[in-house]
Amino acid sequence: MSGTTAFWYASRATGIVSLLLLTAVLVLGILVNRQGRLPGLPRFAVTSLHRNISLLAVAFIAVHVLTAVLDTYVNIPILSGVVPFASSYERGWLTLGAISFDIMLAMIITSLLRGRLNRVLWRGVHLLAYLCWPVAFAHSIGSSRDLQHGWLLDLSIACALMVAAAALWRLAHAARQLPRAARVAAILARHSPPTGTRGPARARERIAR
Amino acid sequence: MTTTMDEPAAGRAAAPPDGLPRLLPLVPGVPEDLGAHLARYGRPPYRGGPGLLIHGVKAAGLTGRGGAAFPVHRKVAIVAGARGRKVIVANGAESEPASRKDGLLLRAAPNLVLDGLQLAAEAIGASEAHLYLHPGFGPEIGHALSQRAAAGLDRLDVSITEAPPRFLAGQESALVNRLGGGPALPTFTPPRVSERGLGGAPTLVQNVETLAHLALIARYGPRWFRALGTAQEPGTMLATVYQADGISQVMEVEIGVPLSTLLASQPAAQALLIGGYHGTWLPMAQAASLTLDNATLNQRGAAVGAGVIAALPAGRCGLVEAARVARYLATESAGQCGPCLNGLPRMAAGLAELAGRGHRKQVRADLERWAGLVTRRGACNHPDGTARFVASALTVFAPEISVHARGHCSATNRTPFLPLLHGMPTTEDDWI
Repeated sequence: MSGTTAFWYASRATGIVSLLLLTAVLVLGILVNRQGRLPGLPRFAVTSLHRNISLLAVAFIAVHVLTAVLDTYVNIPILSGVVPFASSYERGWLTLGAISFDIMLAMIITSLLRGRLNRVLWRGVHLLAYLCWPVAFAHSIGSSRDLQHGWLLDLSIACALMVAAAALWRLAHAARQLPRAARVAAILARHSPPTGTRGPARARERIAR
Repeated sequence: MTTTMDEPAAGRAAAPPDGLPRLLPLVPGVPEDLGAHLARYGRPPYRGGPGLLIHGVKAAGLTGRGGAAFPVHRKVAIVAGARGRKVIVANGAESEPASRKDGLLLRAAPNLVLDGLQLAAEAIGASEAHLYLHPGFGPEIGHALSQRAAAGLDRLDVSITEAPPRFLAGQESALVNRLGGGPALPTFTPPRVSERGLGGAPTLVQNVETLAHLALIARYGPRWFRALGTAQEPGTMLATVYQADGISQVMEVEIGVPLSTLLASQPAAQALLIGGYHGTWLPMAQAASLTLDNATLNQRGAAVGAGVIAALPAGRCGLVEAARVARYLATESAGQCGPCLNGLPRMAAGLAELAGRGHRKQVRADLERWAGLVTRRGACNHPDGTARFVASALTVFAPEISVHARGHCSATNRTPFLPLLHGMPTTEDDWI
């Protein structure tokens, strides 16, 4: 394997990993939005996981773009990583890649500035995630022959199914959300010990003994 | 200078008053109507144009008395510097259940607050003035407004809005939402209300006590204002002080006064709650040597806040009191931000478990972890304030936690001590 093919393999590998990471980021984002949780993790950890994996995904995509550019087998200009229609090789599919990467950068920048931004603006940009993932997915399937058959195709389909399931779950969950005024009472009732008892049952038994 | 020479020119009454009280009536408990007010302070000294008062307020070092102690001149300058329609709001919502100072000031010296409102309105060039008052406010402010209208004192009409009895109702963005016709719920900042507030107009929101001080700075100047208080935090402040015998009183005190001078030595107190329900517990032994100013209190993780000082008597259980307050604070979450909505009820339940007898081992560590996790993660500072309150209770009442773990409680008196409002919000209308 020469230095040149190393770049090519690295680019394809990081691309596939990026697809998996972006799928995880989107599913976790939906979980954060619905205040859901993962087994064994507090809700706050889901938020951190969403944030950290999104940053990891961008790092992988940066390597994915860079190695594709450094690879000399086909000529891809560095600008095509962020500028649509900048590459003559696979112009359409690379344009989709650039668009999805641009949306990701916009989401990350607005999230880093979230404290200084208007909430509506942040939310508007963040909702573009639902556009970003399908565009990135189309880029993956379209530009990579590897993903079009075999177990990598199965993996891609699994990713798409997970995203679809998460999105449907979000819609269903939003439809049966409690009104704001009832939320605190519901959560308080869930966590408070029943009135009239002092401390949890286990502790009371211990004292009784 | 005599009164007669001075009055027509600058609207000053006799010589600038020395010492205390500055804001409260000269005869304790007797409210001052417009006649008494004019005899004591004279007419409001309008400057004749926007911006002219800012320098004096800056030199005086006046800070907001609503709890955040933000420098008043900075907010005034931001709104004064904006273009177009501007709004001023005097905030007397006093949504802190333990605080009574704003309500008392509005009854005892409504004209001083209204002077401050008009003078600050002039300083920013406001075209609209509002009073946002605590639920069930008395008739005094209305009387004062009609007397002032008859005397031609006010340049801007003032409209009154009553705040709902919610803990967060006085928060700036909640206030602006309420005045705009919606529920008194906080929204994310930025934009700050001083940049985009009521109907999109830059809005200056100041606590009513702050405006009363401003009215005096306009009359007597920054040098007079700085004659009391500390160099960093000049002036006087109104404090709601709860003695260990349960008797509470609003006092006007010099900032920086030793806490021990405010508290009766008998009956004995075990701990002091400073700043209100977003405030901090301190053990009495430590608190006795401190002074009432942020420079000193901040070193102990405490702050003057809304000026509530409550001495918890020795016979009560601090854990039970803290758990009651934490539950109240949880029920007052607006339910908008995840960390607050999910974290505060858990913290309240955890503290209730500690206040009971025999608790799971990990509860204390969980509470400390949750306190860290909710801090700075809300649209407003409700999670932060609640976390501070809970964390300080865990520290100060640590010996009592061990007593409870063994199935006992040191309390000899189980009557609730700290005042709370009842009735949590159940519909959207409860925030209106």
